[in-house]
Amino acid sequence: MLAVKELCKTYKGAAEATLKGLTFAFPEGKIGGLLGPNGAGKTTTISILCGLVQADSGQVMIHGLPQDAAHREQIKKIIGIVPQQIALYPQLSAVENLTYFGNLYGLKGKALYEKIMHYLEVFGLEKSAHKEIHKYSGGMKRRANIIAAILHDPDLLILDEPTAGVDVQSRSMILQFLRRYNEQGASILYTSHLLEEAQSLCDEVAIMDEGKMILQGKPELLIDELPECRNLEDVFLHYTGHALRD
Amino acid sequence: MLRLLATIRKEWQLLLRDKTGLTLLFVMPVVLITVMALIQDAPFKDYQDVKFDILTVDNDHGRLGKYIREGLASGGQFNIIDTLDGRPVTEQQARELVNNGRYKISIIVPAGSTAAIVSNANRIVNDITQRMGMSVSLPVKQHADSLNVVIYFDPAAKKAFKGAIHQALDNFLTQVETDMLLGRIQQQLRRKDTTATPNDTLPIRLQAVGLKEHATGTSKQLDVVSNSVQHNVPAWSIFAMFFIVIPIAGNMIREREDGSLLRMKLIPGSYLLILAGKMLFFVGICLLQFYLMMLVGIYAMPLLDLPKLVMGHYQGATLLVAGAIGLAATAYGILIGTLFKTPNQALNFGAISIVILSAIGGIWIPLEVMPGNMQVIGHLSPLSWGLDAINDLYLRNGDIGYVWKNVLRLVLTGGVMLAVAGFVEKRRMN
Repeated sequence: MLAVKELCKTYKGAAEATLKGLTFAFPEGKIGGLLGPNGAGKTTTISILCGLVQADSGQVMIHGLPQDAAHREQIKKIIGIVPQQIALYPQLSAVENLTYFGNLYGLKGKALYEKIMHYLEVFGLEKSAHKEIHKYSGGMKRRANIIAAILHDPDLLILDEPTAGVDVQSRSMILQFLRRYNEQGASILYTSHLLEEAQSLCDEVAIMDEGKMILQGKPELLIDELPECRNLEDVFLHYTGHALRD
Repeated sequence: MLRLLATIRKEWQLLLRDKTGLTLLFVMPVVLITVMALIQDAPFKDYQDVKFDILTVDNDHGRLGKYIREGLASGGQFNIIDTLDGRPVTEQQARELVNNGRYKISIIVPAGSTAAIVSNANRIVNDITQRMGMSVSLPVKQHADSLNVVIYFDPAAKKAFKGAIHQALDNFLTQVETDMLLGRIQQQLRRKDTTATPNDTLPIRLQAVGLKEHATGTSKQLDVVSNSVQHNVPAWSIFAMFFIVIPIAGNMIREREDGSLLRMKLIPGSYLLILAGKMLFFVGICLLQFYLMMLVGIYAMPLLDLPKLVMGHYQGATLLVAGAIGLAATAYGILIGTLFKTPNQALNFGAISIVILSAIGGIWIPLEVMPGNMQVIGHLSPLSWGLDAINDLYLRNGDIGYVWKNVLRLVLTGGVMLAVAGFVEKRRMN
């Protein structure tokens, strides 16, 4: 599904490299969690995976395709991104937003409208379909944000903290949906600071810090390897330390 | 094509919900051009079009004073005021009233001025008749008096205004002296020619060569003069079109901040098509603004007792110029939206820069009346290129041949701004 090898990136003017030979891989059809403290390089990694930022060196393979100029458009068709921000127009309704992004993917007409209405129902937004996004609650915005990324049925869904700042009900709905979406065959790459959530959702996690991979594996195995750790958060703190990363 | 049309529809939906943006783009410009046209109507009018009160003190009580009063009054340009509260105006009173600004002009015709003119005419006739061998001697004064018609101007009066009044009065004085002289000559010639009857006039035509104004353009030339409406409507429309920078820059920064831009760049297909859709929409809005303002100039201005806007004969060229202005304005908005990180920075810089570009570009006052070095700087402003092109079409009745250079300048500048924006955006991503 997703393989990253020896990825290096230093931004112009930066004193230190953001990525220092990052390597990890997640199998196809699974939910992978990319975890790390602030400044670990998660966002840069995702940006390189999407083709928005170019790595200085290293390789990225997505569903057998190398992430390079020749395959960038092909890769865009098979990935869906849920950014951390609510990447929707607040003044437009959910239907208007989703119609616009659907159109950009080449979807149109009745088929698109039916798909939008289906997903709005799945995410419990059907009654607010024509309400402007700025009138939505935080949880509703997050759910609409996910729909915008799956309209074109991507094989790989990349989510950057999809449940940040949402209530328990919305979080539960989002996680349930992600599991169902994964069961239908899609791969999911997920980043979050909520390690309890990552532990319950992800088949495998990769913990990175300071631009390098620290460890990767199934959450339950990682916990079992360290007798003093009771959960993934303990494992995370064990490897990344307690120092603040602001 | 779907991406392009979807983007245009999305921008339309966004604009429709942005009440402030709509007001800024359509209502404010209408108010602006109306107010500016009304305020600048008087300064733009020729002095012949404005009626002034003139305090007249006639100490001569002769033909000159009468002639000046009648001449000034008959032109329709001046109201002759020679009494105040039923009493004749005195010189002292006139000077004070003009000095404190209650009246703009006062004319004092000195005592004995008609007699001086008659004496001068008689002297010339005597000289001519003596040279012709005739024994005629009309009475002349032994010592020629030095007399001047005195004019007082409001100290706040402009130089051009003073010049125009000077010239008008000078013409009257010359006319009176010429009439007197011709009258005397006719009188003497009639006396010599005994066969002539008293009613038999000798036609003496002094002005063999006259002055007539012709249009400089083609036979299709419209009789258009640069007036408040002809200047202000296109000028402030261009200013308003450039204010599209505000919604575009705000829109772009919001898209970047909320991640929509990121989402658009992650969707397969060229982002340039999305950008093209955005540009097409905003150029369309600029055109809509432009023609709305022109309609206001044509139909609403006359209702306010202002001249009607005349748009020239070449509507295709006008559309091209308006499109080029819209393109430059839109590209400027995209550049500002790309360069600045926060809406506040972009809006402040955008608004202030447009005000400066418009001030130096001849939008507020025509470039021709600016100092030489400011005119050179002013011609570097895209707003001045737009206004020059519109003036070529509206006032000079030019066609595409007149405006292509300015259209090219606007389009190239737009292209350069887009290229810089693209470069900055690419750099930012890395």
